[in-house]
Amino acid sequence: MSEGNPNLRWAYMDHWRIDTAQGQVSQYSSVERFDGFVKQIAALGFEGLETFDFHLGVMQELFGSLQNCRAFLQERGIDRVLSLFHAVMFDRRQSAPQLRATHDFIVGNAERVVGGAAGLGVENLIVMPAGQYHDVEPVTDEKIHACADVWSRVGEMTLKYGIKTCCHHEFYCGIHSAEQVRKFYEWSDPRYVFWYCDTAQHVISGVDPVDLYLRLHERCGGFHLKDTHHVDLNGDYRRRPESEVTAPTTRRWFWEMGTEEGLVDFPALFQAMKELGYRGWVSVEHDKADVGGGNYPESTAIAAWYIQHVLKPIYA
Amino acid sequence: MHTQIRWAYGYNQWKFSWQDFARVDDNLRALKVTAACGFRAIELFGGTGPWFPLGRPESIALNFGSAAKFKLQLEDCGIGAISSTFYDPTQLSFEELHFGLSPTKRADHAAILATARIHALLLAELGGSCLVVRPFSSYAAEGPLDGARIESAADCWNAVGKMTQALGLHTVLHLDALSALRTRTELDQLLKLTDPGCVNLAVDTAELTIAGHDVVALYRHYHSRVRHFHFKDALAVDTLGEYKLPNAERAMILAGGKRKIERWFCEMGTLAGLVNFPALLGAMKELGYAGWVVVESDKGPQPAASSMMLNSWYFQRVLSPLLA
Repeated sequence: MSEGNPNLRWAYMDHWRIDTAQGQVSQYSSVERFDGFVKQIAALGFEGLETFDFHLGVMQELFGSLQNCRAFLQERGIDRVLSLFHAVMFDRRQSAPQLRATHDFIVGNAERVVGGAAGLGVENLIVMPAGQYHDVEPVTDEKIHACADVWSRVGEMTLKYGIKTCCHHEFYCGIHSAEQVRKFYEWSDPRYVFWYCDTAQHVISGVDPVDLYLRLHERCGGFHLKDTHHVDLNGDYRRRPESEVTAPTTRRWFWEMGTEEGLVDFPALFQAMKELGYRGWVSVEHDKADVGGGNYPESTAIAAWYIQHVLKPIYA
Repeated sequence: MHTQIRWAYGYNQWKFSWQDFARVDDNLRALKVTAACGFRAIELFGGTGPWFPLGRPESIALNFGSAAKFKLQLEDCGIGAISSTFYDPTQLSFEELHFGLSPTKRADHAAILATARIHALLLAELGGSCLVVRPFSSYAAEGPLDGARIESAADCWNAVGKMTQALGLHTVLHLDALSALRTRTELDQLLKLTDPGCVNLAVDTAELTIAGHDVVALYRHYHSRVRHFHFKDALAVDTLGEYKLPNAERAMILAGGKRKIERWFCEMGTLAGLVNFPALLGAMKELGYAGWVVVESDKGPQPAASSMMLNSWYFQRVLSPLLA
C-alpha cells in the first residue's frame, strides 16, 4: 500500500493475542510469536506499529535493546513503533487529570515512558485525557480546564523528546461529548496537545468524527480507524466498572472497517482528509475484535481489503 | 517479475466441518481476506452437499444466480481470476450418490468422467486453466499398484484429459502423501501411458516431500510434464511408511501417526519447513515454467487468515524478489 510517493502511510494499533496450545497468549511472549505477528501485519501493507507503553519492557527483554527491536521490525517491513498508548492508571490518589494535585505525578510518569522509548522511532504518545466518566462526573468546566492544563504540560515535555502528545476520547472518557471535546481543545495549548481521531469512539458518543475533523484538523495527530454498530443511547458511558467491556446492552462495541452494519462514514472522512491535505500516518485499530468468536488476523485483513478497495481510491 | 508464473491461493483451508463455512457472506469475507493478502486468483475446491457455496456449479447457481454473476461477485471482492478446480473422485458425493470412486476401476470411469465434466464446464466458463485431480485412491484403500491398474487409471485420465482439452482446459494429476502411487517407476509408467497433450502433473511441494521425494529434483526430472504447482511447506517426512496404515488420512495425517506429529503441513517460511522454495523457484525460472502456482494453507490452524497472511509475507518478501 505504499507504492509511489503516497500522502498516507498506514500503521496498526495492536491488541492481538495468539492462539497457542496454552490458550491465547500475547504475541510478545516469544520472538517467534512476535515474528509471526509482525509478518502478518506487514503482509497487508502496514508500515508502522502502535502498541501500549507497558510492552516497552518486554521488547527490551526479547531483543536486548529497543534499537534491536526496531531493526527486527524493519527487516520484516515495519518501519517503526509509531505510537505508544500511554496506559495511565487513573486513580484519584496519583493520576486524575481533573485533580491538579496529581499533575506532577502524571507529568513525571509520562516522562518516564517517553524517556525510555528511545530507539523505536516513536512519534506519538496517545492518552485518554480524563479518567472514566463515572470517576470524573460531574464534568465541570474547572475539571476540563485542569485536564487541558496537565496535558499541555505533558505535551510540552514530550516534544522535547520529539514526541507529540495526542488525546484519544473513549466514549466512556470524562471528556467525550461534542461540547466537552470543544472546550478541551480550546483550553489546551495548540502547540502541545493534539487530537487523535478514533472514529468508532466518537460515533458511539454521538459525535460525528468527520465534522470533528473539519473543525480540529489542524490539531489532528493521527487516526484510529475502527467502526461500530452502536451509538450509546442509554448512557452506557457512565457504567461501572468499565463501559467498554461490561455494559449490559452491548457485548461488542468495535468492528473492523467494511462490515455492512458499520456506522462510521469512512469515505466522507477520507474526502475531508483529501480536501484539507492531510499527510502522514493513518492507523487501523481493532479493539476486542475477538469478542463473540471473531479473530484479529481476519479483522485486520478485512480492514486492509477496505483500505485497498474503498479508501485508497479516494485518497492515498 | 517473471510474468509466466501466475499466483493463486487454494480455497481449502476455511472449512473445518461439514456444515460450517456454508454461508455466502462468510465466503465473501474469505475472498476479501485473500485479495487483501495480495492473491487475486483462487483455486476452487470441488465439494458436495448444500454446505459448499462455491463447491459445485449447482451451488454457485443457487447462491449467486449464475457463473457470470459469481465472477462479478468475485471481482467485487478483488479476485480477478479462477486458476483451477480441485476434483477428488475418491470422496463421497451426495449429488452422484456414491461413497467414492476409484480411477483404477474401469466400472467407475464413466461416473468420474461425468463429474469431472460438470466441474470442467464451470471452470471453462469462469476462464480457468486446469482441472486438478486426485489420480489414485490412497494406498490404504487401494493397496500396491500393478501395471493393469496404472493402465486403467491412465485410461480414465486420458478420457478426462480429452474432455477438458475440448473445453480449452488441461487435466493435471495431483499426487499426495497418501497416494497409492509411490515410486518414480510407477510415475514413469503413468506418464508414459498418459497423453502429454492434455494430461500432465501437478506438483504439490508438501505432499510429495512428506511422501519422501526431493521436490526440486523431482521437478527437474519431470519438468516437461509439470503444468501446475501447489506451494505449501511440510514439517515431516513419512519415514515410517505410515501411508500404509488403515485410514491413513485419520491415523497418519490427523492423529499424527506413531510420532504424534501435530502438523504435517505449514506455511512457507516456517523455520522447520523442509521445502526449499527458493531452489524450486530458481529451477522453475531456469526451466521456463509457465502456469499457475497455487499457495495453500491446507489444514492450517485457526484462524485461517493468519496462515494466509504469513504465506503472503513470504511470497512478497522472499519469492517475489527472486522473480524480479
